[in-house]
This record gives sequence, structure tokens and C-alpha cells, in this order.
Amino acid sequence: MIDLNPDQERILNWRINSGGVAGVIGPAGCGKTTTGSFLAVKIVCEGYARKVLLVAFTNSAANEFCRELSILLGPEAAKFLCVRSGYAPGADTSLSIPFSNSIEVVRTKKIVICTTQSLRRLSGCIKFDNMIIDEAGIERLEHLLSPFTLGINQLGVNLMKDYISYETNNIIELASQSGIVATVVGDPKQSRPIGLADYDLSAMEWVLRCTKYDTLFTTHRLPNKLAMLVDEFADYGGLRAAHDIAARRLIVDKDIDNEFRSIINPDEVITWADLNGTEEMAGPSSWYNDIEAKACVKICCELRRVAPSKSISIVTRYTEQRRIITRYLRSLDVNVRVLTSTGALGTQADIVLFSIVRNNPERIVGAVGSLQDLNVAISRSKEKLIIVGNFETMLNCWSRSYDMNHRIKQNFPQKLAKLVDAKYGEVVQATSLLSY
Amino acid sequence: MNTGILDVRKTYNYLRKTQTHLVQSSEIATACVCQNLFKLDYPYGAIRSDKDYLIANTVHDIMSLCIGGPIIENWQYNSNDYENLTEKIVHDSYNIINEIINYTLDITNRENRSIQHDFKDRIDEIYHGLVTGICKRLMKKYDKPDRIITEITITNIKDHHEGRIDALLEYHHGYGILDWKTYDLNKTISGREKWQLIANNLLANYRYCQDEDDWNRYNFSCIVHNGGAYFPKLETIKKEVDKIKINRKFAFEVLCGKHVRAERPSFCPVCDKGMEGSKECLFYQIDSKLAHEGKLPAQYDKMTRQFFAKRYAILKERAETHLHKHVASTLIDQHGEEEALQRLERTGVICSGYFYDFDIEERVVMSRKDADFSLEPRRIVRIIGIEPKRPFLSCISEQASVMDVSNNKITLSFRSKVAVRRAKKQLFHLPIIMMRDELNLTRSMLRPIHQFHKLAADIFIPQELLPK
Repeated sequence: MIDLNPDQERILNWRINSGGVAGVIGPAGCGKTTTGSFLAVKIVCEGYARKVLLVAFTNSAANEFCRELSILLGPEAAKFLCVRSGYAPGADTSLSIPFSNSIEVVRTKKIVICTTQSLRRLSGCIKFDNMIIDEAGIERLEHLLSPFTLGINQLGVNLMKDYISYETNNIIELASQSGIVATVVGDPKQSRPIGLADYDLSAMEWVLRCTKYDTLFTTHRLPNKLAMLVDEFADYGGLRAAHDIAARRLIVDKDIDNEFRSIINPDEVITWADLNGTEEMAGPSSWYNDIEAKACVKICCELRRVAPSKSISIVTRYTEQRRIITRYLRSLDVNVRVLTSTGALGTQADIVLFSIVRNNPERIVGAVGSLQDLNVAISRSKEKLIIVGNFETMLNCWSRSYDMNHRIKQNFPQKLAKLVDAKYGEVVQATSLLSY
Repeated sequence: MNTGILDVRKTYNYLRKTQTHLVQSSEIATACVCQNLFKLDYPYGAIRSDKDYLIANTVHDIMSLCIGGPIIENWQYNSNDYENLTEKIVHDSYNIINEIINYTLDITNRENRSIQHDFKDRIDEIYHGLVTGICKRLMKKYDKPDRIITEITITNIKDHHEGRIDALLEYHHGYGILDWKTYDLNKTISGREKWQLIANNLLANYRYCQDEDDWNRYNFSCIVHNGGAYFPKLETIKKEVDKIKINRKFAFEVLCGKHVRAERPSFCPVCDKGMEGSKECLFYQIDSKLAHEGKLPAQYDKMTRQFFAKRYAILKERAETHLHKHVASTLIDQHGEEEALQRLERTGVICSGYFYDFDIEERVVMSRKDADFSLEPRRIVRIIGIEPKRPFLSCISEQASVMDVSNNKITLSFRSKVAVRRAKKQLFHLPIIMMRDELNLTRSMLRPIHQFHKLAADIFIPQELLPK
């Protein structure tokens, strides 16, 4: 059985006893999926709703819901109560929850797990009394509206017409007033609207603007120093590490080579390996930095040697950089996961390397300077974070991104550089890594 | 090297600020029937039907393989014995039909979808009807073509037009277009099919003559349906081209978010016959009338503005899905095809040099000599077979997604096993270029906005404002 922390219990009790649309902010590792799954089980088992929809944007996130439900309910009860619907090849068939797109089967189940894109298969046939929506990957409001349409209570709308007309001012409020009961779990400081407009709100930001919300503050992923860095950087207002993992540090099995000692340093949770690589354009809008890519690979090779059992991820903002790093790793047969910051959402690893890529005399960092990208990159690690890139460029860069409320423009790369240097980590010269 | 990349990036940045919409032939046809009907699809996003087109899609798949197989193999010009010929073709198609039916049943079983009890019989019946139409009418009038290309997508960037043609029959002196419908055309009243055929003729002209108004290579166009065949005369087609162009411009401007007034025809087959979609159409007509008269309640008016802002943001995203094609076309115009493709390849927008290795079900493994390529798993690509003397974006192509890339091999996932078979037949023997592409999810995103728009109207518009 999974133990809930006080934050999760508070949110569960709140959502059980309240209707409408509401938001739950969950910074990295705070258990958004666990809370959502627990809420679904509680709602169904205690009779608060007859039918609950758990919806996620990606198949892997939907499978995560299934995994949590299987643990919470046990395989037999999960098989009896739940069904996974949507795109058949995307479903994890190793789990006990059956897959089906048949409306007859879906009708008989209490908890339905589906992806946003596959919801059209259910639309018009089935209504849900309650829904839990994982916001990760849902970029804008219009993506969020498709699950909402499955929860409209037309009878309730007709009865409450006069009341509604005096209360509602926007689409989310209209949804709340139309009998839709939905809990949107996500983090506006991690997922961003990848829109064409320079200024747009993410789906989660719409929800937070128009409804009540609560925040999960206990992270089960980030050790204390990293949790404090992420908290101050993204301004969560009190993110803390759970007691059992607060003091977690990297433990290596072998002596670290002199060349890497200061970078891998197990006593330090956050290290910035300061490099002066050269950025290059690639593709219609991407960038790569070959020296940084090679440095990341060298560090990974050493990490594989000294800590072979640890999981390692490399996160970068640019697909081209990911491609180049992957190619180098393959040529050396080193097994490390390489992700873009968008793809890294929802993932974690013992050791994370973050390759910045951008480095130019004009100190323009472009898309790498956004709050969401930087926040995702620095909050994936369970034991050690190594930032690889030019420290000076980030510290003195020209970057102004809006904060979550779209009120104040901030220089997030500079903020990160200052916090690492002054409070939470160590900046080390990594010129030795330039030779390959 | 950097100059080339910079040039491509500049083109992307420039085109992002312009309108890169493309209007599909089917959308032009809808606008020709009634401009309000087009607006119902875009920007409103009202879905007129939730039907499962399993039978129609299966017949389309069968036809796309049989036309280049048993049908062309048994083609007999001016034959009087069309009944026996039909039976022979149907008999020779037995394996293909069975394979596709079993494949479809397998997929529906895997997804646990329900299927109508007479599924197989209906398919046999429709296929028989279509083959009869071809033997009785098409073969009677026209000689055996040199080659038949099926399910070909043609994009004419200059005229913002794109379409997918069921079959193109190539002759040494010209071409014929063949479109198949699984229902009886004589029982339809909209005439939409005719408009779609004419719109596709413009695309075919572009493919063969580089100019949509050049009819020199035109041979015939035909719709084969469950009850016969329809052949419009060239004079009739030419007369209607203006209407196609007017409605294409209308559709393009609507997609671009311009204020264009939709003209209602004297007879609309949907509204005047009370067919599916008429209620939605009426809803938006009343809505815009009330808005025009300034009678909308303030709260509803405010919310409607939100709905439209979202709708046009979605449409802008639809335009973005065509960006790669626009960039390719612009660069080809500027530098010529060879130089443009080289620049695009250096930037990683396209990839050349692949050849077919083998396939398993929906997956195809392709390889090239060296290992340095820029495609990544999950990327959507258009696989284009370069044909001599044809515009780049009118060449034979198929869409697929990248599943795996390792060393010099790439695994692609096609839409279906049928698409793989089709590609093996008409695409893989050509020099292959893979171009980045995007999925168009506009309709599924517009739909919930339409539902909430209706919900808001239900709540906020007082009954006394609505016509009785």
C-alpha cells in the first residue's frame, strides 16, 4: 500500500468534497500521478462518482496511471474496475488493466484511462461524473477542452441556467458551472505552451487563473540542496525534500579519475562544468555544440565506470544536440538516455547532465532561457546534477522570459547561474574535457 | 555550409509570418456546395457525422491495390462482354480482397471495435459494383493506360491547393482521373463529388503541365460509383473552374482569419433538406445575425470572442503543418530543384539516398550507404519518390512515422499494411527523398470549442432572441 504524505492527503480530502474544475500544482517528484490515481480510486470506492476518467496527453503518462492503479488496487480489482482505452500499440499490455475500445466494455468499467487524442472514440457515447487530467504535455486550453466535453451535465445546465449566467466569465468557469468535475494535475513551471504566439497561457495556467488550486510541496525525488535550488529558482514557495531522501548523495563504487574528480564530486549535489564550446546552427531552428556533446559523453563514460549501477540521463533543449550526443554514445556503446527538455517531462534518473549548448559573444541564449525548460532540466535528478556549458554566457545573457503570471519578465538563466554559484552548487573549470 | 543553412532558416522565419494554409480539394468541394457548410468545418469545427467509415475505407484500400493489379491486367478496350470481364476481375482480386478484409478484421478485433454482421458481403457487393462501372463504362471508352498511380497527394503551393486523388491513369499523351465512391452517386443531391473531381483536375494539370490552367494533357475524368460511372465533359469542367477558384480563394481567406461573407446558395442540400448538420448551420447563422445586430448578451459576446480567438489559433497551427512544403517550394523557385534540395538536406529538413530493404506488416526498413542522417524516432516524414519532369510536391509520396534509427538503417511505420503494399508497387523503385512533415489534428481540436460554444449559447442567449 502506498503511504500518502500530508500534502497529498489534504488535496484528496479537498477534491472529494468539492466539485467543479480545480488545479493541483505538483513540482518535480511530488507524486502527481500517485495523487491522481489515489483520488480516482477513492472517488469510485467510496461512491462519490459512478464513472471516473483518467486522461493524459501521452501514452506513457496514461500507462503510468495504469501502473499506479494496479499497485493501489491490486491486479484483480484493477482488472475488474479499470479499462485502458485509446491507441492499442501505445498501451502497456504487461499490466493487469485490460485494453479495449469497445463502448460496451468501457461502459461496464468504473475507471477509464485514455489519452487526449483518443478521447474522440468515446465522445458522444459515455459521460463521466469525475475526471482527473494529467496536464503534462497538454499545451494549451483547447487541448484541455476535449476531456471536459465528456463531463458536461446537460440536465444540470438546464436546471442551473439562471444561476450560471450571473457567475461565468470564461471557458474554464463555464466548464465548472456546467457540472464538470475535474482535477487538473500539472505544473505550469514545467510545461509551457509551445504555441505560435509569443504570448500564450498554458492549459494549467488557464485553470489556475480561473479556479481554486492547491500545491504539493514534498518532493520524493530531489535531495535537499536540489529541492532548495528548484524551489528558489522557480519560486514555488516552499518545496522541500521528503525526510527519507533529503540527505541522499551519489555513492561511487570506484575512485574517480583525477580529470573528473571536481566534476563528479559526490559531496556536491550540483556541479556546473564550465566549458567554452562553440554553438552551431542546425536544422530550421535547432542548435548544437560539439565540444559540449563530447564533454557530456566523456563524463558519462567515467560515470559508467565509477557508478555502473546508476541511471544516467542527458537533458538538452535542442534536438540536434540530442542527436549528436546519441551518436557519440552509440559509437562508444555507452548506455545513457538522451532527452530534450520536452521529452524529459515526467522522467527521472540518478544522475542528470544538462547540456546548455548556446554560447556566443552576443550572449543570446534563445529558447534555452525559458523558465520551463531550465526547470525541467534541473529537476530530473535524484542524486547528482551536472550542468555542462558556458557559465559566463548564462550569467550575463540577454534573456527575458515571463514568469508564470506573465507579469514580470525575468532573466532565468542568470538567476540559475547565480543560485548555483552562490548558494547551492559549485562551478568548476572543465577545460580538460576539451580534448577528445 | 552556413550560408545554405542560414538561407533555409531565414526562409522558415519569413514564412512563419505569412499565411501557409493549403486548401484541400474536398474542402473546396464543400465550399462549392455551400460556403456556410465550409465554415461549419472551419473555423467552427462542427462535426456533421460520427459515422464509422470502416466499409468505405476497406473498399478504398481494396481498390487502391486492385486497380494497379487485376483491373489493369484484365483491361479490355471497347469490350461488349463486360459482365464476364467483371467476374474475371473480381475472381482475380479474390486474394487481395481477402487479405485486406482479414487485415481490417484483425485491427478491429485488436481494438475491440464492433463490426456490422454483413461486413464481408457489403464489401463484395460494393467492389463488384465498382468493377462493373469500370468495365462497362470506363473500359468501353478508353484504352488501357500505361500506368496507374493510386492515392497520390499533389500539392500546388502557388495556388494554396492540395488534394489526394484516388487514381491517376497515365497515357503517353496525357492523363485520366479516376475517383471511386462506395455509394450510389445517383442518389446524392449535393453534387459535391463533381466539384471535388474538378478541383483534382486542376491538381493533375499542375502535375503534368506545371500549370493548373493548361488542359493539353487532359484526357478524361471519371467518378465510378456503386451504380455506374459519371464522366463530365471537358467543356462542362472548364465552365466550372471559375467557381472552384472563387471558392478556393474563399476557403483560403476563411482559414487565414479574414472576414469573408459566406454566400448561401439558392438551394443548400443540407439546410433545405434538413440533413445532418443543418441544425449546427442554423445555430451559427443565428449567432452571427444576433452578433451583427448587437443583440448578443455581453457575457456571451465576451466568451464568443474567446472561442474565436482559440479557433483561429488552431487554424494558424494547421497552417504550420504545411510550413516544410512551403519552404521547399520557395527554395525551389529561388535556386532550382537540385540546389534547393541540397540546401534542405544540409539543414536536415530532407534526407536522400534511402532504398527499400524489407517490410513486416506496417513497418518498412530502409537503408542508405552512410550512417549520417538527421531523422529521429517519432518524427513524421513524407517519403517522396522523385519522378522526372514532375514538380517536387506532385511526385508520388506516402506519409510515415520514424520508429527507429540505427547506423545506416531506418524503420518506418506506415499508416497501414495497404499503404506499404502500395508504396512497394509505385514508390520504392524511385529515388527516395524523406521530408519532414507534420500531423494535422485541427478537427479534433476544433470540436470541443464548438461544443462549448453551443453550451454557452444554451446558457446565455435568452429564448426570446431566438427565432420561433
